[in-house]
Amino acid sequence: MKALFGRRSAVVTVVIAAALILSGCSKSVNNSADAAKTSCGSYAIAMHAWGGYTASAQVVAEIAKKELGCTITQTTLDEGPTTYDAMEAGTIDVVIEDWGGGRWKDWVDRGAVVEAGLNGNVGLIGMYVAPWMAAKYPDITDSKNLNKYASLFKTADSGGKGAWYEGPPGYTTIGEKLVSANKLNFKVIFSGSEAALVDGFTKAEANKTAFIGYAWQPWTLFAKIPNLETGHVKFPANDWTDAAKASGLTDYPSSPLMKLISKKLNDANDPFTTLVKNFSWTNDDQNSVAADIESGSTAAVAAQKWIDANPDKVKAWLGK
Amino acid sequence: MHVRKSYLLLGSVAAWIVLARIFNGVNTLQIATYENTSFTSFIGDRAMSLRGNRTHSTIFVYFFNPIRGTIDGFVQGIRNLIAVPAQNSIIPIIGWLGVVALVGFVVFATSQWKTALLAISLLLGCGALGMWQFTMDSIAMTLAAVLLSLAFGLPLGIWAGLSDRVLKIMTPFLDLAQILPTLVYMAPIALVFMIGAASATIATMIYAIPICIRITSHAIRNLNQSPVEASVSMGSTQKQTLTKVQMPMAKQMIVLGINQTVMAAVSFVVVAALIGAPGLGKPVLSALIIRNVGQGFVAGFAVVFLAILMDRSTSAAAKRQDSFIPPTAKDIKRKRITLISTAILAVVSIFVSRTVLWAAVWPKEITIAPQVERFTNDATAWILSNLEIFTIGFKDFISYVILNPLESLLSQSPWYVTVAMIVWLALIIGGGRTAILCFVLAMAIVVSGLWFEAMLTLTQTIVGTLLTMILGMALGIWTGRNDRAERVMRPFLDAGQTLPAFVYLVPMLGLFGPTRFTAIATGIVYATPVVVKLVSEGIRAVPATLVEAATAAGSTTRQIITKVQLPAAKKTILLATNQGLIYVLAVVVIGGFVGAGGLGYLVIVGNSKPELQGKGLIAGAAILLLGVIFDRIMQAGARRSS
Repeated sequence: MKALFGRRSAVVTVVIAAALILSGCSKSVNNSADAAKTSCGSYAIAMHAWGGYTASAQVVAEIAKKELGCTITQTTLDEGPTTYDAMEAGTIDVVIEDWGGGRWKDWVDRGAVVEAGLNGNVGLIGMYVAPWMAAKYPDITDSKNLNKYASLFKTADSGGKGAWYEGPPGYTTIGEKLVSANKLNFKVIFSGSEAALVDGFTKAEANKTAFIGYAWQPWTLFAKIPNLETGHVKFPANDWTDAAKASGLTDYPSSPLMKLISKKLNDANDPFTTLVKNFSWTNDDQNSVAADIESGSTAAVAAQKWIDANPDKVKAWLGK
Repeated sequence: MHVRKSYLLLGSVAAWIVLARIFNGVNTLQIATYENTSFTSFIGDRAMSLRGNRTHSTIFVYFFNPIRGTIDGFVQGIRNLIAVPAQNSIIPIIGWLGVVALVGFVVFATSQWKTALLAISLLLGCGALGMWQFTMDSIAMTLAAVLLSLAFGLPLGIWAGLSDRVLKIMTPFLDLAQILPTLVYMAPIALVFMIGAASATIATMIYAIPICIRITSHAIRNLNQSPVEASVSMGSTQKQTLTKVQMPMAKQMIVLGINQTVMAAVSFVVVAALIGAPGLGKPVLSALIIRNVGQGFVAGFAVVFLAILMDRSTSAAAKRQDSFIPPTAKDIKRKRITLISTAILAVVSIFVSRTVLWAAVWPKEITIAPQVERFTNDATAWILSNLEIFTIGFKDFISYVILNPLESLLSQSPWYVTVAMIVWLALIIGGGRTAILCFVLAMAIVVSGLWFEAMLTLTQTIVGTLLTMILGMALGIWTGRNDRAERVMRPFLDAGQTLPAFVYLVPMLGLFGPTRFTAIATGIVYATPVVVKLVSEGIRAVPATLVEAATAAGSTTRQIITKVQLPAAKKTILLATNQGLIYVLAVVVIGGFVGAGGLGYLVIVGNSKPELQGKGLIAGAAILLLGVIFDRIMQAGARRSS
């Protein structure tokens, strides 16, 4: 190496070594300002992509940090297998909201992931048209009439059919089945992200252009477009729980959302375990925090605002 | 011969269009996204049982998991040093002031004070953007990946430099690694090494090591051979020749290789966040999710700063040449004094950064992030509201005129017609061997069951490359002929090459909506800089005498460009096209995030739906196969044309 870099590298090495040794000897800020020590360890919460999830996870994180003194890391990653793997590897401890209706089964079966109860939110999925369309064409919200209006939804990308914007990759989606089973003259376009759907609905409503897309509740878009619910296209009531077995003739079921924790957190059985297991709140609670985040306040501030306004619920979660 | 070949090409395409019309919609091999073929479900089952085995099967317990543990520990060690507090501590070992001082000193000692000042201000810039911790995480990740890459890459590169046989064995792998779109190998790596820093580091290494090997072996091979021969004839052992003659002579080139390795690792910072890497990728990805363009750009700028910092400090070290005039005693003394005093300054700063809180943790008050964020958001909002009519119009125009016809040609004709046509085109452009290779690869895609999706991706890649080449050629010719233009464009090109594609994916989504064209436009932005640089270099490399002769003969500017410069630079332009194709392909598949569908979407959906993971893995392989088909045809074409 010396032949490669000459004398200077020697000087640099010596200085770095000296710096490191010196930094080892010197009294660090750590000792003077020691963190509050409690029985709570350090845990990682998975941060999934959608706004509602962020709200729930942030509230849990703030309470854990402020009330219990836990060290919490929040790790952004994909929902589903990616996260379960991370839980198995020990890098993630909490999923606060999983829509996946049992896709975690393999991991639970081998003890890597533990179900920690429902989180109180109920997920509703459906196909929605932009609300102005529901007002103008009242019968459009019946799935039987969709074909009548298919030509309105045509775009450059939909191959002569109506464009049908499907939900993000990780979400429960049966759009292709709905389209083929009901013989709808639509082409499924995988919008790929929440962002694309927000964009689609907002623009369609503002410019009075046609749009049919996947939407779910709790979701802050329902606060931004208050009458979005009127655009809900109704299919016959559902008869399935496992998307893989859905016939496509019927609508999405409503699904209570699940909390998952790592084996490590389950075994630790410390105050944080109690907090996560007890955590449960309503769609309105989540929407209020998510709406604050959406309108520009940081997740931590929005979560704290809700915590301050709801001391009783927090107390109940802490088991006090 | 030349004319006949282009007629042949045109004729074949015409025949193809007719065939496609006749057999429209027959045997397209289209299956629904939720459907598996028996092959993809088989792979899915294998992957699932692999996941289940990771905690107890022998190969994991004694091989993969220790590797993961070691790399994780290594990364964590570096992170504890500069980025995150270790256990039972609230600050990293070296606080921000210490890091700034240390980087400043190291850069000063290895290059010069101007570069050191630049490095310091870039670091402070990252801090001011509110990205200090993310930046440090990224530096730690990059450092770990680079050190490990060099530990493998330099010895392998030297070996390949000395032995022809080794080089011959390695070349196909090096070629393959260069085509491999990053999105493709994330899932398999995460499957084996799980989500986290280890997977991210290994993915980065796979990307960076080939570059290191290539340049190092090139450096050893292209030395002036006479000193080497002299050394051998004087009886030096092979080891002596290597360490005393070849390595010192190749030093500058090897440092350039290190520079390129570092840049490869930096360019991976954002993608690596997809498999759990800490660092700047996180805010970029979360900006995509919540559609906050401003936040994306704030983090994106920090990535660019980091890239410039890494590039300038390593390339300055490579360029530093000892002057031919021997330094006087006074010079040496002065240099030594400044070096020692800056060293003392660095050590004191590190000491301070461990004892005083303001020097340990970047003060939150010192930030320009909200301003930058607001400005970018406002600017984007303005662009979106005012230019949307044009952008949507342009998108629709391209969709109806090129995208839709080409897509129906490729995906709606029977698979055997399309395969036959691809092989036939490969035969005309590249010759028999290329045609056979393309046949095998295309059939592999057919057998995989993802033919239809592959054709969608192929369509987007071709259209994206076409538009990239139109834009890239125009800018490349302009900058190649005009020094002022070159100087004006250069910073934009550099920024375009380092700004992660995910950053402008969000505004593109705003401009074009969730469509195929969003992916294509992102691909164009990503691929254009490299095409412009290559074309511009090609034009500049045309001998000035040729141009002068043409001018003297009274040619117009247009004639000079079309009759002299472009034909003379033909080979470079073909290579630029190839490079553009590979770049567009790499980004078009990311378009799965924004509604572009195709293979990229299958890769993404495979990551989040267990029942589709086999399909996702196969889709990744299919993207690679597409890339190889492209690459082989273009390379063969370029070889033949010269």
